Amino acid sequence: MLLNVYLKSLRDSKKSIIYYSIGTMVLGLYVTLFYPTIRDSTGLTDFLEQLPEAMLAFIGDADTYTTPEGFLNAEVFGFMGPMIFGVFAIIAGAGTIAGEEESHSLDQLLANPVSRKNVLLQKAAALLTGLFVLSIALWIGIIGGSKIAGFGLSLIGTTQAIFSLYVLGGTLGLIALSVGASTGKKSLAGGLTASVGIIGFLLDTFLSVVEALDPLRFISVFYYFNHNDVIINGINPVHCFTLVAVVAIVLIVAVWRFEARDLRN
Amino acid sequence: MSNNAPISSKNLTKFYGKHRGISGVNLEINEGEVFGLLGPNGAGKTTCIRIFLDFIRPTSGSATVLGMDSRSESLEIRRNTGYLPGDFITYEKLTAEELLQYFANLRGGHLSKARVLAERFDLDLSRKIGELSRGNRQKVGLIQAFMSDPKLLILDEPTTGLDPLLQQEFHALVLEEAASGKTIFVSSHVLPEVEIICDRVGIIREGSIVAVEEVATLRKQTVTKIAIEFEEAVSKADFEKIAGVSEVAIKDHHLTCNVTGSLDSLIKLAAKYTVVNLQSGHPALEEVFLTFYNQSDETAKTAD
Repeated sequence: MLLNVYLKSLRDSKKSIIYYSIGTMVLGLYVTLFYPTIRDSTGLTDFLEQLPEAMLAFIGDADTYTTPEGFLNAEVFGFMGPMIFGVFAIIAGAGTIAGEEESHSLDQLLANPVSRKNVLLQKAAALLTGLFVLSIALWIGIIGGSKIAGFGLSLIGTTQAIFSLYVLGGTLGLIALSVGASTGKKSLAGGLTASVGIIGFLLDTFLSVVEALDPLRFISVFYYFNHNDVIINGINPVHCFTLVAVVAIVLIVAVWRFEARDLRN
Repeated sequence: MSNNAPISSKNLTKFYGKHRGISGVNLEINEGEVFGLLGPNGAGKTTCIRIFLDFIRPTSGSATVLGMDSRSESLEIRRNTGYLPGDFITYEKLTAEELLQYFANLRGGHLSKARVLAERFDLDLSRKIGELSRGNRQKVGLIQAFMSDPKLLILDEPTTGLDPLLQQEFHALVLEEAASGKTIFVSSHVLPEVEIICDRVGIIREGSIVAVEEVATLRKQTVTKIAIEFEEAVSKADFEKIAGVSEVAIKDHHLTCNVTGSLDSLIKLAAKYTVVNLQSGHPALEEVFLTFYNQSDETAKTAD
């Protein structure tokens, strides 16, 4: 596991990947095993329809809430999934370069014949690999849970929604990694990216009800992640590509800044 | 620049915002020598080293290491350079062996020399870095710097905080490696260390190189504090007459003085009396500096 920076980084986050993957799998299982009680509860749709718009923006669509996809959309992809993926990605991203710099191990790593760009890209790849494992675990949890509970679920929709969640996590993680690589400051990297996530979430949910703020949803990462309700309607390639493009630009800037700046002592 | 010197810098200058790191540093290290950069903390030693390794970039001026540009060819420079800082900080969760294996992998090398060195320095490679004492951690640093047999070694205050025995072993290793043809650049704030291992010394003060000297020359100009206790009264005037002896003071058969260069004449005169005790103090770095500044002031005055 110590052949290169990529494998070393994976090894460093091994425990974290395992624990978070258990978390995502349990989330998938819990929500799917819980679903039949929602499906069978009569009158829930009527109740939801009476809720204020702002609450529904958070919970999901009243019409689809009692369908398997609608329920998962609300309970997994509405809040818990993005939160787990976001927290994992931001901690991993902020800690990987800025964290090494702050703990003073980066100098010694870079005294070896490995370029800064190379270190950054390998660490980015390790982060994406970690998120991939979380995604697989969530997929197993959801699909496994639906089999156990005995209800049908769109395999393609679920896979696409998890992929979209993966892209969201990658976006947040790589923003954190990039801010950290550009500045060497771990708390700035973590804080700034958490703000991007939280503000993005608010803009796409509660605040979307405020008409004046509605146009701002276009700057929300959550809008591009799941505004399309991916598990129900399938992935929106433009939305997905937008996130990928943002990440690509952020990474290019990060490589440039990381190569150009002085390392902190 | 077609300069093949192991390290060469031209007008190397680094400012951290408004704060001076170094200014106008010109250095030329010869192949196969042990060069010491001597200066107090904050003088700019680490700044020079971090520029050579491309951790930071000069504000102006340039440096070549092993004949290559410190910025554009850093990767190739680092492939052929071993680096050990004064406080070797690295991945605490790895065992010493894992760390050395990791760095060897990054360098495309193996651990055969590392194992020999670990045995020599009596280091248990199976322990985690985070559990090692300061001295043992520094041994790991030492091994990783030397294990790939680099052409150039850059050591930044490598023995700070090590016990004297380990310092000695370390100095022995440096001398062996130098004898095998390696070039070694070492920074230090203690003169005795530099005297033991270096061929030449550059003195850095407030970011500028104020002198570059052969160690032998430096030693000649070094002031040593001597205190001698005699059994009987001695003549102050006799001691004041000796060339190189200054600040002679005598109190109750105790003589103190400063000696520049060789102690031979003083010892021979003292030997005419019964000596109860003799102590010599290593001169403080400040005093070495003062000797240099006084000299350069005098040179300046003569030039006027």
